[in-house]
Parts: sequence; C-alpha cells; structure tokens
Amino acid sequence: MTESDRAIYVYGIVPADVETEPDARGVGDPPGEVTTVKHGDIAALVSAVPTNIALGRPEELAAHAALLDGAAAAAPVLPMKFGAVLDTEDHVVDELLAAHHDEFAAALDELEGKAEYVIKGRYQEDAILNEVLAENQEFRSLREAIRDKPADATRNERISLGEGINNAIAAKREADTRVVLAALTDLGLTVAEREATHERDAVHVVCLAETAKQSELEDVLGRLADEWDERVDLRLLGPLAAYDFVVSRTPE
Amino acid sequence: MTTAVQPAGGGGGGSWNRPSSSGLADVIDTILDKGLVIDAYVRVSLVGIELLTIDARIVVASVDTYLRFAEAVNRLDISGVDQKGLPDLVEGAVSGGSKAKTKGALEAAGDKLRDFLGEEQPTERAGRRRKED
Repeated sequence: MTESDRAIYVYGIVPADVETEPDARGVGDPPGEVTTVKHGDIAALVSAVPTNIALGRPEELAAHAALLDGAAAAAPVLPMKFGAVLDTEDHVVDELLAAHHDEFAAALDELEGKAEYVIKGRYQEDAILNEVLAENQEFRSLREAIRDKPADATRNERISLGEGINNAIAAKREADTRVVLAALTDLGLTVAEREATHERDAVHVVCLAETAKQSELEDVLGRLADEWDERVDLRLLGPLAAYDFVVSRTPE
Repeated sequence: MTTAVQPAGGGGGGSWNRPSSSGLADVIDTILDKGLVIDAYVRVSLVGIELLTIDARIVVASVDTYLRFAEAVNRLDISGVDQKGLPDLVEGAVSGGSKAKTKGALEAAGDKLRDFLGEEQPTERAGRRRKED
C-alpha cells in the first residue's frame, strides 16, 4: 500500500503499557497487523487498512470485538465504535492521543480493573406462551376461535391474539428486566439497559464490574437462572470492553 | 512478568469455548451502536471509509410478528391450560430444569477468566500487557 491508499484503523485507547502480540490481526482483507501508537501514558490500538475497500464483513466485526474484549479482560480499554479511520499514524498521535491525552487517561483510570458484562435473557417460546395464556382468559378464547381453522378465515382474530401476546411479553420483559437490574444494583454495579433485539427477549442489560469479582456476578445470575429454569435462557457475555459506559464528549 | 490478553471470541482453536461467547449477533448489538465516536475527537485527519451497511437489530412489532405468535399459540400444546389448574402450570414453567445449559454458560465465563489468570499462555492471545514494576 502506498501512503495515499493506506489509512489507520483505530480500535480503541489503552494504557501505554499494553503491547500487542505480533500475530494479532485486525480488520481488512488480508487482515492488518495490530500495533500500538503511543503518546504519554496512553496508546491507540491500530492497524493499517486500504482505503479502497468497504469495511464491515462479519469477520471484521468479530476481529474488532475480539481484540478489544481480549484487551479488556486484562487492562482498561476505551473502545471505538466500529469504523474509526484516520489518515496517518502521526495524526493518530497529534489529533487523537495528544489532543485528548488527559481525558482519555482519566477515563482509563476509572476503568482500571473493570470490564463490561452483557446479560441476555430470551424467553423459551412454549413456556412464555403458556404463561401468558394462563394469565389471560381473552387469549384463551381467541385461541379457541382460531383453533384448527384456516389462517385466512381467522386473520383478524390471529392479529388480535398475536398483538395481545406481544404486549403481554413486553410487560413481562419490563418486569424481569427490573429484577435483573435490582440484583446487579445490589452488588453495587453500574448498570444500563439496552433495547430489546428480539420479540422474545426477556432481559438485555449491561453492567460494569470488577473482573476480580466476576464470580459474584456469576453467582447472582446463576441463582436467577435457576429461578427462571425452563422459562428464560440466560447468558452472560464478558468480560468485554466497556462499550456501553464510555461516552463521547459532545463535538463543539 | 507478562499478562496475557486473550480474544473473547473468534479465531478458532481457543482454550475455552463457552456457549455464551459473543456470536456475530452479540457483536453487532455492541460495536456498531456503542463505543466512542471518532468524529467527536478528530476532524482534520478523519478518513471517510465505506462501511458495509448492517441493519440494526431492533424489535419492531408488526402484523407478521402477531401472526407468528398466533400460529405458535395455535400449535402450542396446552393440555391443561384450557381447563383449570392454571396456577400449577405457571409454577411449573418457572421451576423446571434447563440448569445444565445456563450453568454451563456461566461457568464457562469463569473458566475463561481462570485461563487468563493462569500461568499457561494461550496460543491465540492478541496482546500482552507489560507490568512495569
């Protein structure tokens, strides 16, 4: 690559003492070698990318996340949203690192020893449908009305039933999300909610926790998983970079 | 002394393989939507690069969703729901046993941390952090 068709992809900001392995690979095809660009106490995780290709293939999204999450397990990291590209390494130093050195360093200090964890719960379909039917006579009547009848002939009833169930599940999502948030807050964790990404989502929340206390988080979620056995499939993702807890300053 | 940094997902042949490791859907929920926005920090040296568009995963309730739920209910085996004994059914729904699956996921998350803290150096590590002292 020549200077003009080569740019620098920025994954995130880490303390200057973080070093990449020679075999760390990033985005691009072929994947660029990941290195650090340092300034003072901080460094940017970067790799060279050609400017004439589009980024965002699944393996590139995975590489971006894997690199940052891998770093987050051991060191504080400020993750960039996917797709941050600057023209040269010199400008990564001048315009990104030097210009914002103190605010990045302060944010990294705050994240020391901590990482993000994502808690995802998904209702098991039969279980949640049984649950809402059991609680609502109208749903049971509508079910009888469409039972063994052609879909075309019962379209209105089906829409009415489906909408009711969708709303009932949304109400359960809200209640179950509150349960999880309360359990995490009891652990003293900073929490945030995420939008549901599926109509059977039960829980989609994130928390910032000390990686050394991950087992406490696992214990609490394990108890909830037992309580919701055969009702909600609960997953814990992490440690991850603190995507949901870093906030960009407002551009002036 | 060095501390290994290990990628949380992807890159095959990992020393742990927990069911709850981030899949592509999890990654999309996270890195396309969250994180620091480079434009907030950099103007002059910004390079506009084409990004493949990926639809954000959000829930939009639609007639299709409703019809799908209705059909799922139609097919649902609810012997017992139509009669009485409804509270029993609800109770059964919240106290059964898919323990293995969820526990496995949670335990595996711990395995990863232990792997990382252990002496053994994983082969697919992405970086290492040098302790200065």
